[in-house]
Amino acid sequence: MKEIIKLGLILLLVCVVAAVALAFTNELTKDQIALQRNQANENARRNILPDADSFKALDENKLNEIISENKSVAEVFKGYKGDSIVGYTFKTLPSGYGGTVEVMTGIDLEGKVNGVRIGNHQETPGLGANVALPEFYNQYENKSAESEIEVSKTEPTNDNQIQAISGATITSDAVTAGVNIAIDTFKQITGK
Amino acid sequence: MNNKLIVSSSPHIRSNETISSVMRDVVIALLPATLAGIYYFRMGAVRVILFAVLAAIITEAGIQKLRKQEVSINDWSAILTGLLLAFNLPASAPWWMPVVGSVFAIAVVKQMFGGLGHNFMNPALAARAMLLASWPVEMTSWINPGSDVVSTATPLVMFGGAEAPSLFTLFIGNHGGCIGETSALALILGGIYLVYRGVITPRVPVIYISTVAVLTFLMGGFDPYFMIYQVLAGGLMIGAIYMATDYVSSPVTPKGQIIFALGCGVITSIIRLYGGYPEGVSYSILLMNVVSPLIDKYTSPRVFGEVK
Amino acid sequence: MNPIKTLTNGLFKENPIFFQLLGMCPTLAVTTSAENGLGMGLASTAVLICSNVVISLLRKVVPSKIRIPIFIVVIATFVTMVGMVMEGFMPALYNSLGLFIPLIVVNCLILARAESYASKNGVFISTIDGIGMGLGFTWALTVLGAIRELFGAGSIFGMSIFGVAYKPALIMILPPGAFLALGILLAINNLLKSRSA
Repeated sequence: MKEIIKLGLILLLVCVVAAVALAFTNELTKDQIALQRNQANENARRNILPDADSFKALDENKLNEIISENKSVAEVFKGYKGDSIVGYTFKTLPSGYGGTVEVMTGIDLEGKVNGVRIGNHQETPGLGANVALPEFYNQYENKSAESEIEVSKTEPTNDNQIQAISGATITSDAVTAGVNIAIDTFKQITGK
Repeated sequence: MNNKLIVSSSPHIRSNETISSVMRDVVIALLPATLAGIYYFRMGAVRVILFAVLAAIITEAGIQKLRKQEVSINDWSAILTGLLLAFNLPASAPWWMPVVGSVFAIAVVKQMFGGLGHNFMNPALAARAMLLASWPVEMTSWINPGSDVVSTATPLVMFGGAEAPSLFTLFIGNHGGCIGETSALALILGGIYLVYRGVITPRVPVIYISTVAVLTFLMGGFDPYFMIYQVLAGGLMIGAIYMATDYVSSPVTPKGQIIFALGCGVITSIIRLYGGYPEGVSYSILLMNVVSPLIDKYTSPRVFGEVK
Repeated sequence: MNPIKTLTNGLFKENPIFFQLLGMCPTLAVTTSAENGLGMGLASTAVLICSNVVISLLRKVVPSKIRIPIFIVVIATFVTMVGMVMEGFMPALYNSLGLFIPLIVVNCLILARAESYASKNGVFISTIDGIGMGLGFTWALTVLGAIRELFGAGSIFGMSIFGVAYKPALIMILPPGAFLALGILLAINNLLKSRSA
């Protein structure tokens, strides 16, 4: 009995010391970590809505309303230039070939897609993963958010079509679905 | 009368089969498919076949020299592996692809595991799977038969569409696809020759193809057109007749072979009907190859006098 | 115990990857490029050295019955610290190594060295052992990552080697390629060993 108490106390001591050490390290690094995370997000948002210089998250109630209608929406941010809104950024999570694909879409107030970027994904390297390359996502730039964007396996025949990556139709479809969800959400918010 | 008696130990029953005669028979059986492939796909086919076979022979000779073994390329097994690999590639494959594939098939799948008789997977199919994972775009770019290089999709992908080939076209092979898999007619002719020569029994091919036919009929909506289309299209013919019957990587006993063929048929059908790939033959045969030792273990007959 | 010998032991003779075959999970999963291999190797080395030092310091006071939980707590603490530092100051590497940074905790190499060496030897020599084993792990990972990157993407450390015309063999940056590459390296290693024996 005495031995168990002794063993338990030693373990407790070790864990306390470990916890203190971790708390200390956390204090030292947490600001830097937060900085990095914010930086990455800011940069990502600026890529898809270049006109904006600051971003504010959409009002939480509104966001929850949107998410309850469409679970693929993860984030919505308002993009400001100075004090006026210039557009919105959306992070959507459509299902791709190997799992969810993070799609960031920026749409300005005139209803034009300013940019699309791909975040985390598990698509096949060399095939589906190539949606993360500019050659693919730049296709969405300047597309109108009036109607949904379609995927074509060959050359696009009209303005609201993009071309799928050869051999990666499922991933291309998924990314387009993500952009279309952003478009729908945009229409919902702005009432267009 | 010859008074000399020859003394030797068992076995005393001899057949004329040798490794090279069996392999040669298979190569002969593949001649109609080879001619069909060259007829349909012209120089592309010739190039792929030539590079695959040469690379296979050179690799085998090279490795056997390195391992200080007797060079046995005259047993025709390397030639056969190269030929089968070539049949699984599109005619538009760049020259280095059959070379890399053959080197992989002979060096890694066959020699690294012990040489002839020790490969646990069909070398040509394993090489094809490797090539598909490595260069998916090149491995899935097919051209239409004829001298113009017009890219196309395979019949399995085209099913139901306007460009889907007729059943007759599927049968004689005048459509896009890998070099050796298009002409069911040529492949069946070769298969009949192999059965006649006693190289294979109809067991595995018939059961494999029938299983696919039955399953695609039942699960494809009881549509006989769909069923026949599925049987004739894709690599099913070449897989069932020439790949699933590889002695080394498939079960030894008749009961085992039945299980093997059934398994191949089920997996092929499931991949084709419900999976993301249009073609399921190569993966189903490879998966069953891996399970073969287990099948052998459970279907081995009782040795006379053995205590259970 | 000769420090030089201990150092070279971890680097070559008892190399964690090629000889002991420890830490296979990060080895196979992370070595999709030379840079990832190097990064993971160095992160693991940092943890290994720190945990060896602490466990060696504690070796006389840790009761044998609870030594394993104590080792794991020590290792996990250092891994968390290393993870936090990487997230804060090396975000690109942190993102590409991803899930495998926390998995350093279960890298059997670290627990193995704790159990078989650090808990039985002095601090200085345990530190040397940590350095040797860690660097041995690192160079093995870097070599494997370089080979996979070379054939699977045509570059080493991001520098294109084969030029634009090279069609990379994608299988090399996928899991099957990892097993193939590691298997062949192990075979070559065994061959060299048997020749020099």
